[in-house]
Amino acid sequence: MTSERLKGNLDMLLLAVLIAGPGHGYAIISRLRERSEGAFDLPEGTVYPALHRLEHAGLLDSTWETAAGRRRRLYRLTAAGQKSLTAEAQQWRAFSGSVALVLGG
Amino acid sequence: MTEAAQRPAGREPVEDYLDKLLLTLSGSARQVRRTLAEVEAHLHDVVADELAAGKSQAAAEEAAVARMGAVHVVSGHTAQFSRPSAALLRRTALAGSLIGGVALVAFGISGAIAWGLATVRGGSFLIAPFPPGSYTSADCARWLAGDPATHNCITAMTADHVGEIISTAIAGGILGLLTLAAHWWMRRRWQDRGTLTALPIGSAEAVGAILALLVAVGTLGQGTDLELVQRGQGAGQMFSLGIAALAAAVFFAVQLRHLALPGRRRAR
Repeated sequence: MTSERLKGNLDMLLLAVLIAGPGHGYAIISRLRERSEGAFDLPEGTVYPALHRLEHAGLLDSTWETAAGRRRRLYRLTAAGQKSLTAEAQQWRAFSGSVALVLGG
Repeated sequence: MTEAAQRPAGREPVEDYLDKLLLTLSGSARQVRRTLAEVEAHLHDVVADELAAGKSQAAAEEAAVARMGAVHVVSGHTAQFSRPSAALLRRTALAGSLIGGVALVAFGISGAIAWGLATVRGGSFLIAPFPPGSYTSADCARWLAGDPATHNCITAMTADHVGEIISTAIAGGILGLLTLAAHWWMRRRWQDRGTLTALPIGSAEAVGAILALLVAVGTLGQGTDLELVQRGQGAGQMFSLGIAALAAAVFFAVQLRHLALPGRRRAR
């Protein structure tokens, strides 16, 4: 997937990754890479503006945790985030289904 | 062997990256600190993974920085915000528009002061008439046409000049407000640390205060000289400019004090 197409769907993908449980930035981007089997391999710093934006929108919340002497910000999905993800996932499935029909796949 | 000992002298890719990132981040101090802490922890986690994969400390740090991406990817700004020369230009534009805007607004206020002085002490207090022989009858006709109530050329001349002084000051004041609006717009847009710290904090205010004070001293001095030597003819314009410049100097001094107070410092 081209990086431009990915950027447009990054918020939904980050919410989807956090369904599995809270995570900090590095863990989130690693999970995204693993679950996409390497297809989504973004510059890792991209995740931070997206996470902050989602938190500002109330779809995530975050707390500091200290592990191995280092502070990390842990993000988790809120109820609003869960709802938003469900809606976006439905829209995506409908869209990709329509694209598949047009392409004759 | 310690981390520092493993790294070739002078190479600190992670520290260099965090320094550059600090300059491009915008937002409140807390937001900046938080993003820096998150990215630092992320980089050190990647370094740990790369070391576990067998890389040297330096190579692991360089790999971590490469994986993180350019600083503007983290800050969310465009790449141009990472260039120091561009940051200095933006900071200079901010400082210049603040000083210029306040100066023009002060010039506008001097017009109001000039009008007041002309009302109280007459037009010739504001501006001395041209000396005889320096104007023609055509000039007189033009001035008299602008002030039909008077039949005296000198009175009409003075009224015309007073009007010009006040209207020029009003135009300057309006231009000053537009300049300050542009300053406000630029300040909202350019919140990255690189721009805000390209010049020392408070430098615009300090320069503005000094320049305004110099103008105030010069014009008030000249006005006093005209008052004493030429019985006040023309002193009013100097006094109006001097009082407005003094007000501008006070404005800048108050802004500087706000910036200097601990806990209330905010880069402008």
